[in-house]
Amino acid sequence: MRRMIQTLAALALLGLLGAAAVVGLGLYNVSAQVGHMPGVSWVLHTTFRNSVKLRATSMEAAPDLSDPDLVALGAGHYATACAPCHASPGTDRSATMRAMNPVPPRIEEAIGDWAPNHLHWIVENGVKMSGMPAWPAAHRGDEVWAVVAYLVALREGTAGDLPTDGPEGEARAYCATCHGRVGGRVPRLDLQDPGYLAAQLRAYADGTRPSGIMAQAVSLVPKAAHAELAAYFASAEGPEDVSAATGADTAEGAELAQAGTREVPACAACHEGAEPRKGPVLDGQTRAFLDQQLRLWRDGTYAHDKLMSAAAQELTDDDIAALAAYYAGRR
Amino acid sequence: MTAMSRDPVTIGRGGPSRAIFAVFLLCTTLSACGDRQSTLNVAGEDAAAIATLFWVMLAGAVVLWLGMNGLFFYLSRVAPGAFPDRLVRPLLIGGGIVLPTVILATLLVWSLTMLPDQRAPDDGLRVKVTGEQWWWRVEYWPKGAEAPVVTANEIRLPVGSRTGFELDAHKVIHSFWIPALGGKMDMFPGRTTYVSLRPEKTGTFRGQCAEFCGASHAWMAFETVVLPPDDFEAWLAAEARDATPPEGDAARRGAALFAAEGCGACHTVRGTEAVGQVGPDLTHVGSRLTLGAGRIGATLDDFAAWVEHTGALKPEVKMPAYDHLSDGQLADLAAYLKGLE
Repeated sequence: MRRMIQTLAALALLGLLGAAAVVGLGLYNVSAQVGHMPGVSWVLHTTFRNSVKLRATSMEAAPDLSDPDLVALGAGHYATACAPCHASPGTDRSATMRAMNPVPPRIEEAIGDWAPNHLHWIVENGVKMSGMPAWPAAHRGDEVWAVVAYLVALREGTAGDLPTDGPEGEARAYCATCHGRVGGRVPRLDLQDPGYLAAQLRAYADGTRPSGIMAQAVSLVPKAAHAELAAYFASAEGPEDVSAATGADTAEGAELAQAGTREVPACAACHEGAEPRKGPVLDGQTRAFLDQQLRLWRDGTYAHDKLMSAAAQELTDDDIAALAAYYAGRR
Repeated sequence: MTAMSRDPVTIGRGGPSRAIFAVFLLCTTLSACGDRQSTLNVAGEDAAAIATLFWVMLAGAVVLWLGMNGLFFYLSRVAPGAFPDRLVRPLLIGGGIVLPTVILATLLVWSLTMLPDQRAPDDGLRVKVTGEQWWWRVEYWPKGAEAPVVTANEIRLPVGSRTGFELDAHKVIHSFWIPALGGKMDMFPGRTTYVSLRPEKTGTFRGQCAEFCGASHAWMAFETVVLPPDDFEAWLAAEARDATPPEGDAARRGAALFAAEGCGACHTVRGTEAVGQVGPDLTHVGSRLTLGAGRIGATLDDFAAWVEHTGALKPEVKMPAYDHLSDGQLADLAAYLKGLE
């Protein structure tokens, strides 16, 4: 018995020494040119697939994935954030990308037969040790659905071409691939003043206003261009409003917005009336955007303005729907 | 004091330190009974009933205590020894069962007969008070009124007539209590309770929430001002009017700031665009005696301090601290608010 314990202890010590040598002396070859040992790739890939299936996002929060505005927004994000590794549909990855280990699959291959909620989990969380990054803003799974909508449309052959105005060209044109071209969750900018828009660009850039889509877009535009972009998009020269008039000037929404309740402050006190105004203009904003933003404030994902955080705390889902419809309906 | 802390036994034995300790205890206890928040400082018919009840109970308790201890003393020191058997049973049954039953039942019945008086009908004025976290929403409904006079965090009453209080609560339980005027009554969300008060003396008395209701429960108080009937009518008529427009440059700048900062989202100032319902009505906030429901006074400095440090003065309060405003802006706002008389 005693002898057995001694033998086991000696073996354990040897194992530890071996592991220390591999780490300390650099014995393991990390070269991407050398592939995995036989069987390792299979273990890693199977672990990946099963991990995704175990953790997949609930479909309850999923919006209508066939919404063309959602697909277009996802396409805009895909064009700069995903295409560098997974390539534009119908093309192949660059030679350098193909030399990655593991190699990022072409997008058609990557989508495979994953269900939408599996795709959502992968895009939001990324995959550790594979080069696939997580979504660049925490707790913004709501945004990820746009990319999922694009991927599903791509698989079904209804996606259309990716926008071609990249950030390497004219910054205005790059921003206008979504603002002014896509409705739905993409807000109208022509309603706001340049100071407000510039402040939002800063907040997206430093992460105080968390958004993976806008963080990606802003990171590709030089900071020096922010003021000029804000002035352009706030002016009448900026792209025309494309959002369909989806609002409904309901009595319920009007009452809530103008007078509030004992739970909810009156929106109008900050969002309407003459300058100086505390908050952005909401009249005529897109309904889906208003709905989404109010939820982000209510749920505490947004906390970059203490007044709005306090104001949104007690909103119910019905309140949010009524307010979004009301302000979208005002022109 | 050092002797006391080193050897507590001396407290019990030493004559002088025992006396000091007794005085110390008395001082700390009595200091809680200021004139403005004491049931024993009777300023109303209902508080008088409660004070009478208290004194009768206290007198009874003293008599019983003396009787019991007198008997003990007699049996153990004056006439120790076997007690005659024929007296044991009657004493046990009479003194241990019958007497306490009779005394307690009498006190209970007497105190129960006082309860309906606490809910006596009003003489024409109803005040609806809603407990909020942590302030008081107040509506005056004089007889025949179609719309209430809305105010907050202060109650004014006419002396010599009975006012009815309809009590309600918004989210959690509170309790409405003006000790100098009467008994307390709990406030429940979704259920109206009723109490009435008939003040007999003019003056200012403190009310306090008497049911734990969250982080700032202890800071949920209010002033009650009892006025001669004519003064009360004049005050109510003034309170019903719209806000006075700001006078002076500072107040005008403050009014503009009040609108620009979105204060009207939560507060109402009647006669202006501010129609919010989340927080206290500020139409006549300048004439109130306290701010933040009895938290601080109502000087210009107090107004500025409240706007800048709400959360520090009243933990977990809903109103965000407007600490992004400059001292000059806070002074302008204070001038505007103080001018809302």
